[in-house]
Amino acid sequence: MTLTQDLREALGDENVLEEPVELHLFSKDASLMRGEPSVVVFPANANETAAVVRIAERHRVPIVARGAGTGLAAGASPTQGGIVVVTTRIKDIEIDVENRTAWVGAGVINLDLSVAAKPHGLYFAPDPSSQSACTIGGNVANNSGGPHCLSEGSTTSHVLGMEAVLTGGEVVVLGGAAPDPIGLDLKGALVGSEGTLGIVTRALVRLLPIEPDVRTLLMDFATVEDAARTVSDVIAAGVVPAALELMDQEMVRAVDNWLGAGLPIDAAAVLLAEVVGETEGVVAQSELISDIGRQNHATGVQVAADDDERALLWLGRKSAFGAIAQLAPDYYLHDAVVPRTRLVEVMTGIYGIAEKYGLTMCNVFHAGDGNLHPLIAFDSSDPEMNRLVHEAGDEIVALCLKAGGALSGEHGIGIEKRDLMRASFSELDLDAQARLKEVFDPAGVFNPTKVLPEGSRCFDFGGVRRELPDGVWV
Amino acid sequence: MTRNPPHIARLEVDQSLAADGAATLEPRSVDDVAAILKHASERGLKVQVVGGGTHSGYGRPVSPDLLMVMNGLTQVEVWNPDDLTVVVAAGAPIAEMEAKLNEANQTSVMPEHPGSGTVGGAISAGVSALRRGKLYPTRERVLEATLVTGDGRVVRSGGRVVKNVTGYDLHRLAVGAFGAMGVVVSVCLKLWPVPEGQMTVQVDDPDRASEVTRPLAVLETREGVSVFLAGTHSEVEAQTRRLGGTARPGHSWPVDPAGEFTWSLRVPPAEMANAIERMPDAWGFLAVHGVGEIRCSSDSFDPDFRSWAESVGGRLVVTSGEAEDFDPWGSPPPGVDLQAKLIAQFDPRRVINPGRLPGGL
Repeated sequence: MTLTQDLREALGDENVLEEPVELHLFSKDASLMRGEPSVVVFPANANETAAVVRIAERHRVPIVARGAGTGLAAGASPTQGGIVVVTTRIKDIEIDVENRTAWVGAGVINLDLSVAAKPHGLYFAPDPSSQSACTIGGNVANNSGGPHCLSEGSTTSHVLGMEAVLTGGEVVVLGGAAPDPIGLDLKGALVGSEGTLGIVTRALVRLLPIEPDVRTLLMDFATVEDAARTVSDVIAAGVVPAALELMDQEMVRAVDNWLGAGLPIDAAAVLLAEVVGETEGVVAQSELISDIGRQNHATGVQVAADDDERALLWLGRKSAFGAIAQLAPDYYLHDAVVPRTRLVEVMTGIYGIAEKYGLTMCNVFHAGDGNLHPLIAFDSSDPEMNRLVHEAGDEIVALCLKAGGALSGEHGIGIEKRDLMRASFSELDLDAQARLKEVFDPAGVFNPTKVLPEGSRCFDFGGVRRELPDGVWV
Repeated sequence: MTRNPPHIARLEVDQSLAADGAATLEPRSVDDVAAILKHASERGLKVQVVGGGTHSGYGRPVSPDLLMVMNGLTQVEVWNPDDLTVVVAAGAPIAEMEAKLNEANQTSVMPEHPGSGTVGGAISAGVSALRRGKLYPTRERVLEATLVTGDGRVVRSGGRVVKNVTGYDLHRLAVGAFGAMGVVVSVCLKLWPVPEGQMTVQVDDPDRASEVTRPLAVLETREGVSVFLAGTHSEVEAQTRRLGGTARPGHSWPVDPAGEFTWSLRVPPAEMANAIERMPDAWGFLAVHGVGEIRCSSDSFDPDFRSWAESVGGRLVVTSGEAEDFDPWGSPPPGVDLQAKLIAQFDPRRVINPGRLPGGL
């Protein structure tokens, strides 16, 4: 039987798409890279996903898992063709209030989980800006972050267990509600592996109690440096707010023009800080943060008066990337992370690079984590502009790495940043990662060519010589 | 070829430390560790890695040919307090590192009573602080690790920043791996500020703790239940008033129960009350409420208690005491085959603490 016939038999005709227009819809994620899938399938559960994996292995075709397709690094773009496995039918949520956990289908939308948990006084901490669209499966695959990961950590800190489909279509349940599962933390390896080691079909996640009080502050500054220094000083003062976000003037103007939120468009930079906890604590912390802002020449400090005002401020922050559409049809984005004490010098360097190349750059980022999002707005139909944008992007990454930073804080490597991995890791480091990939995916079907640059596993190191049969030339 | 590599020749060999005639080696550098392990792999020698010796009761005994004592690698390599990160060599004693970090009101959130324990030891054994419910377990605090594989490769994973998704998280696999993914030689840890306000409040029932949102810890022993509060002074005062009960400023952390036989009970948090209820009065315990971890002591192993723990999705893991007639870990975990294949890539001759992991790995 053909690949499609096998898939139709396993999943039913209605869950297998192969018309050109349908394939085109699933040919890319939110990155700039497009592929050509052979077929798109919608399994309902782990067993159906396992059937798809076995079929893929039998036909030797790649499998690319996909949630909502909001990924920014081409992790879910089927650049090698093959089967796109869309998880959106796997969307059950089982909340366990006593244990403060939930088993969540990979296709559940991030925000829907927190909405479902709210009546129980609970929420799911990772909150990517795309949380109203992105799925839990995608969050797990990319170890997604979000503004509120500053105090609570990224997705990996909130995944206690998982149901996953591995090589050969083996379905395993790893971890659970009990702490410290014994043996190697296979679940920890799967989180953030971008669908290259297996497909996570359900996750057991930690839910946190909703904090009793919250204060959201907006501070504006005459220079980006003052805002960045405020971030460093807040962390140095021993305060870890729930979120600490920075937007520069270009970004504030784009957002406010679209949203009309009354943001301070004349400020060079705006800092959004949020503290949560008991009322007494949030009052004291928000005063401390305001004081630090003023010491760094904040020209205005306002506190959101109520939930509506707070929601509007966050809408402004989380819709920033969408607002870019006013400036240019496309954007190119990096998400390198730098040590927080290096923010000021790195930001200055990044603006210098944008100026050198004459590019329109906006910055909106998780300043408290040192997780930058320099965003270049441009028209990708212009090949010369494409070249310039990528050259500037590489220079920005090099600058961040030189400051002791990391390539990606939350968006993932995919293909977009794959070849920059060599700037982050030695050949031995990459070889070790490639060995992990080989063990999980001996058939090489799970999202091939992603994350690791070609040739990562090209030689054997170390003192242990392999036994070679007689007559073999080496 | 059986000649000693030059590194091995100049290492100190202290036979008095050795068990069963094993040679004791004290590497002074990462290169030394690599040379020792490469040498061990070439000859098929079993290496037991020793930090402060505080977790030697975990897993099956190794019967080593070489003891590799990590107390020559103790340096705090990079500590920039304003970044809230520290890079430290694995052999560094936790107590010394914490004392240093405390000078800047910071903590690595490692175990509160480490004894002679080292950073690498706590990470390799996968043990965590009592503050883990609020500040997350050790697994979540390791940002970067440098490992030396069984065949002597030096491999780094992660990075020195607080948020990072670059590449596969080998450093996560190293936590609780007892060296099977490679001996941990250096790590970058995520630090946390120590808040100005600290209070310990005794309450009569762990459920009382629900009066306050996410306290630092709720701990129960035979002596009673204490809620550990941390935050701004005003916040802690308000929480203390709400809880009622006897309050003492500061945090005085309870010690693990001692005994011939100690073990760690790990159950879903909702099963904790049930677990405590089932324990005979003679057993000692320290329960970390909200987490599901109970550190216990008893005079012997109780197979029925383990059966119960496993039936509710938990584990009973022996942490010290003879475990000759039963497995210190209990039933093998899922994915043992995959774990074995993974270990074969990082310790191909299986020389680092062989057999110490669950499933006989």
